Amino acid sequence: MNIALSSSAALYLFFIPAILILVVLVFYFYHFFRKKEREIIKEKEESTRRLYELAILKELGERVGYSLNVEEILQIITGSLRQFIDYTAVGYVVITPEKIKISTHIERSVGSSFLKEMKERMIASLSALTNKSFDSSAVEEAVSGAIVIDEIKQNIGSLFNIPLVISGAVVGVLTVAHIDAGLYKEEDMTILYKITGQASEAVSRLQEVVRMEKGKLNAMVESMGDGVLMVDAEYRMIVANPAIKKIIKFSGDKDINIFNFVDALGGKFDIHGRLEEALVNKNSFVSERINIEDSFFEIGVYPVLHSMLKGGGQMLGAVVVFHDITRDIELERVREEFTGMIVHELRSPLDGIKKIIELVISGSIPAGSDKFKEYLNMAHQGSSSMLELINDILDLSKLQAGKFEVNKEKASIREVVENRIMFYKISADSKKLSLRAAFSGNLPPSCEFDPQAVKQILNNFISNSMKFTSQGGEILVSVFVYEPGRSLPEDIDKSRFSVYPEAIDIKIKVPSLCVAVSDTGIGIPEDNIKDLFHTFKQAKLSPIDKESKGTGLGLVIAKGIAEAHGGTIGVVSKESLGTSFFFTIPIN
Amino acid sequence: MKKILVIDDDQFFSKTLEAALPAGKYVLISAEDGEVGLEKLKSEKPDLVILDLMMPKLDGTAFLKKLQESKDLPKVPILVSSNLSSVKKISDVMAMGAVGYVIKSDESLQSIVQDIERVLGEEGNKES
Repeated sequence: MNIALSSSAALYLFFIPAILILVVLVFYFYHFFRKKEREIIKEKEESTRRLYELAILKELGERVGYSLNVEEILQIITGSLRQFIDYTAVGYVVITPEKIKISTHIERSVGSSFLKEMKERMIASLSALTNKSFDSSAVEEAVSGAIVIDEIKQNIGSLFNIPLVISGAVVGVLTVAHIDAGLYKEEDMTILYKITGQASEAVSRLQEVVRMEKGKLNAMVESMGDGVLMVDAEYRMIVANPAIKKIIKFSGDKDINIFNFVDALGGKFDIHGRLEEALVNKNSFVSERINIEDSFFEIGVYPVLHSMLKGGGQMLGAVVVFHDITRDIELERVREEFTGMIVHELRSPLDGIKKIIELVISGSIPAGSDKFKEYLNMAHQGSSSMLELINDILDLSKLQAGKFEVNKEKASIREVVENRIMFYKISADSKKLSLRAAFSGNLPPSCEFDPQAVKQILNNFISNSMKFTSQGGEILVSVFVYEPGRSLPEDIDKSRFSVYPEAIDIKIKVPSLCVAVSDTGIGIPEDNIKDLFHTFKQAKLSPIDKESKGTGLGLVIAKGIAEAHGGTIGVVSKESLGTSFFFTIPIN
Repeated sequence: MKKILVIDDDQFFSKTLEAALPAGKYVLISAEDGEVGLEKLKSEKPDLVILDLMMPKLDGTAFLKKLQESKDLPKVPILVSSNLSSVKKISDVMAMGAVGYVIKSDESLQSIVQDIERVLGEEGNKES
C-alpha cells in the first residue's frame, strides 16, 4: 500500500511540475505568438503606410508631371489624404504675388465657426512661418465638399499644420482638422511631413533647373546685339533686352510697355498690328529696312507657341527682333560708291578717246596739224590712265582672293629706290619739287624682297606725295634698318620734315628694312587716316593740281604687297605740315 | 555768239566739244572744277552751263546746291553731263533744277551738240 501510495505520490510529483511546465510553455508560446502577431500587424500597417507613401508620391509624380504650380500639388496631396487620415476638413493656404488663396475641403458637415477658426489658424500659422503679416492681404477663399450647417456648433478638436517649403521659402501651409480632440499622433504628422517634404524637394529641384535654364536664356537675350522683346497674349511686356531699350532710347526705372514702342516707332512700323497678326493669326512677319535715328533695322515679329505633346499649341505670346542692318547698308553704299567711281574712271578716258576718234573721222581735225597731235597725246594719256586703273583693279582682286604673289629675290633696296628717284625726277623738276633719297649706313648690301612689287609701292607713295605737295615743297625717300626696341638710326637728315615716323609708329617685332616717303605737303585730316588703307574708301582730299586724282586703290595694294612680304605699312601726317608714308620688310 | 561754260575736270570733254561745236556760233569757256566754275559763272555770265558731276574740290551736286541757295548768282540753264548713270543720281540732279542730263559715253559729240542747241533754242524762245 505504502509502496502504491508512494508510487502514486511520485507519479503526482512527476506530473504536476510537468503540467505546470506545459502550462507555462503554452502560456509563453501564446504570448510569443500574440506578440509576433502584433508585430506582424504593426509591420503590415507600417508597410501599408509606406506603400501608401509610395503610392501618393507616384501619384504626385504622375499628376504633377513638370508642374511648378504649388496649388496644384497641394490639391493633389489633399485629395489623396482621405485614404489614410481621418479628418473633418482639410485645406491649404498659398501665397501668390497678388493675394493669399485658401481652399478648404469639408469631409463631414461642420458649422461656419469651425471653418472660421480653421481659416484663422491657417493664416496665423502661415504668418508665423513666414514672419509676415497677412492682415492687409487680399484673401481668396474656396470651400468644397460637404455643406456648411450653422446648427452644428462643434469646434475644432484636433488640428495640425504642415508647411510647404520651396527653395527654402515657405510658400504655403497644409492643414488637417477634426472635431474630435487628441486624434492626430506624431506618426500621422510625420508621414504627411514626409510627403509634403518630398513634393517640395521635387518642385524645388525642378524650379532650380528652370531658374538655371531661364538664367541662361536671359543672359543670352541680354547680351544679344539685336533688340529683342517678347509680349504675352495680352500684349504685356515679358522681355525687353538692353539693346532694344537703347534702340528706342528708353531709360529710367519705369517698366517698359508696348506703348513705348508704338510711340518710338511712330508711323514707321505698325508694331501693334504686327503683334496682333502674330498673336491672333500666328503669322510671322519680317519688315523691309526701317530707319530709326541713324540706324537701319529689319524688324521681325514671330508668334511664340508652346507645342504640346498631344499636338496643337498654346499661344504664349509673340517675339519682336530688331536686327541692326546699318553696317550692311553702309557697306552696300560704300560698295556702290566704289563701283560708281570705277565705272566713272574707266568711262571718262575711254569716252574721251572715242570722241577724239569721232572728230578725226568727221574730218574736223586735219591729220598732221598741231591740233591733231594734241588730240593724239590726249588719247595716249587717256589710254595710259585706263590701263593703270585696270592693273590696279586686277591687283586688288588678286589681293582679295589671296592670290597676290611676291617673287622674293636677293636685291638691293638702294638700287630700286635710286631707280624710282630717277624716274620721277623729271616730273618733280617740272613741278618745282625737290625729290631726293637718303640711305642709312646700317643697310645691308642686299636683302630678300620682290623688286617689282616694292617699285609699285614706291610709285604709289612718291606719286601721292607729288600730288599733294605744292611748288617749292620737298619729298624725301629714306631707307634704313630698324630694330624693334632701339632708336631710329641718326644718320638720316630729316631736319626739313616736320612729319616723320617715330620708333613708336613703326609697329614691328623683328628687325626690318624700313622705307619712308616724307613730304611737306598738305597733310591728311586725322579722320581720314584710318580709312586710307581700306578698300572702297578714298580720303576726300584735294590734290594740288587738277590732273591729280585717284581711286585710292594704290594704298590698298601697297598694304597688300607689304603684308605679302610679312611686313607692315603705316602713315603719320599732320594737316598743312606734311605726310610720311612708310613700309617695312623683315630682314632675315 | 552764245557763251557756253563747261565745268569739267575731264579735259577731253571740253576740248572735243569745242572742236565739235559749229565754229562762229558759240564761245566755249572751260573750268576745271566747281570752284573755278562758280567764279567764271559770275564773271563770264554764260548762256549755258555744261556741268560734270564727279570733280575735285566742288563737285557737280554741290555746285547745283550752291546755285539753288544763292540769290545773286545768275540764273543760267544747266545741262548736266556725266559718266554717272545711276537713275537716282539723274533724278536727284534733275530735281535740283538741271534742264537736262547727258550720259557722256552714251552720246556722240553730235548728239550733245544737238542737245545744247535745243536747250539754247528753247531758252531763246522763252526770252523772245
